[in-house]
Amino acid sequence: MKNAYSSVAVRSVAIVVIAAILLLAAWRFYSPPLADDWNEEQLSLIRSLSLSQLPELPADPSNAVADNEAAANFGHRFFFDTRFSSNNAVACATCHVPELMFADGLELAAGVSVGPRHTPSLVGLSYSPWFYWDGRKDSQWSQALAPLEAGVEHDSDRVEISRLIASDENYVQLYEAVFGPFPDLDSLRLPQSASPLGNQSRQQAWSAMSPNSQKIITRIFSNIGKALAAYQRKIVPGPARFDEYVEQLENSSATRQADLLSDSEIAGLNLFIDQAQCISCHNGPLLTNHDFHNTGVLAISGQLPPMGRYDGIRTARNDPLNCLGEFSDASPSQCMELRFARDENDLVGAQKTPTLRNVSLSAPYMHGGQLQTLDDVMVHYNEAPTSMLNHNEAKPLGLRSNQLRQLRDFVLTLTAPLATEDKWLKPPTDETSN
Amino acid sequence: MSLTNFSHGENAQAATLNGSSASGIQIEIFSQLDPLQINLMHSWHIRLSESGGVISGASITMNGGMPEHDHGLPTQAQVTEELEPGLYLMEGIRFHMPGLWELQFSIEHGGRVELATIEFKL
Repeated sequence: MKNAYSSVAVRSVAIVVIAAILLLAAWRFYSPPLADDWNEEQLSLIRSLSLSQLPELPADPSNAVADNEAAANFGHRFFFDTRFSSNNAVACATCHVPELMFADGLELAAGVSVGPRHTPSLVGLSYSPWFYWDGRKDSQWSQALAPLEAGVEHDSDRVEISRLIASDENYVQLYEAVFGPFPDLDSLRLPQSASPLGNQSRQQAWSAMSPNSQKIITRIFSNIGKALAAYQRKIVPGPARFDEYVEQLENSSATRQADLLSDSEIAGLNLFIDQAQCISCHNGPLLTNHDFHNTGVLAISGQLPPMGRYDGIRTARNDPLNCLGEFSDASPSQCMELRFARDENDLVGAQKTPTLRNVSLSAPYMHGGQLQTLDDVMVHYNEAPTSMLNHNEAKPLGLRSNQLRQLRDFVLTLTAPLATEDKWLKPPTDETSN
Repeated sequence: MSLTNFSHGENAQAATLNGSSASGIQIEIFSQLDPLQINLMHSWHIRLSESGGVISGASITMNGGMPEHDHGLPTQAQVTEELEPGLYLMEGIRFHMPGLWELQFSIEHGGRVELATIEFKL
């Protein structure tokens, strides 16, 4: 009797356990049916993400040649040239690889040596008022100069670079077509190498230069940055499958539009604009608000948790190459972002929101490439872990694994070839640079 | 106490936002970007009045944020000029998220400080 009782009990427990496992599995993979139609509020949010809503590139008053074609030609040649580095092997294109959406596929950028941050994509970046993960640069031209003098990136400096330009007839021609006569460097009796930044010997050599020489060199250097920015303004995203889908919504509010998006992708879009609240920061046609948020991303291995935008805005304000500086082409009244930037404590640990356009091609993710895949990113936001510094602005989402996959599937519909002419996506030939 | 209203810019004369302080100072905001949109830097004209008369020479500061997201405004907007008696130019305004925003105004005038809150949804 006792044995029979035990075996019934064991069987009952087993049935309950199996049923629980099946129910749990069903819950994790269950998808509620798609609504037949989007409502007006949803349609409005969906349209706001469409590339058709992308305005013209915003003017950059700090860069008088931002939209000058000859400047873009100059910047194009410079972008792919490895000679502006201490080992003759690092160009801008080393980390910003056109085939990888102008990122590099690495966790941390690798120039002359490995740097402290993950390389961001340059696609559509000209729409952003701030640059770097912590927003420490307020213009694309000023940003473009910093890697040239960073020891772990190009490890060069403004005097070396000016000398190299002066020695290359092709560059002198390109420069003069945009900025007028190239200064006579021989008359300045320059050191081989000098910069107000960088290692001690470079800084000492810079201090020994006359203020006039320093100004002439920094003018050449800032002009190079302006040409690099003119080139980078060509790097813009092209319409993706998602944008075709939104175009179809103009004719009908049905959630299913032929086979343009799968049910999983449509469900992901619904989560993106609603329950998952991705649209809070990833908004507008580039799916970024170009702003700074603390989302509880773990510190980069071997580094202290970064101060993020809190430090970034302070650096930007003190930068001689900012919008208010003497090498900017803007009047002070045009430097709205810099003049009215916030700097308070809630910006501790805040990093810049990246675009989600083509994000499937720019893994790994976050400011240190800490998350390897888009699935890892979805899990991160679903959990919203406590931030190491300050607080995580995001809240746990409580989404099921199936919903996380739907979100990932939606994000994959944002990948498309760039709307950039092919000639800008490879090193210039002599025909295109002249 | 606060009063809130959010127009959609269908009438160019109507304030984009308005509210009032506990003692009845009226705040009318005429956004130079109307209707309001996210991610665009813009300016506001702010009219202060009380019992029908304008309030000139006041000092206005604005703070705020998104209570649901536990963060502040992306910019530190400032009044840079009084354009005409009682009409102030505030520069450096930008919102970076759709959703509910809460703005807190502090108005210093005639030795007193008045507070007003305006909420609106973008």
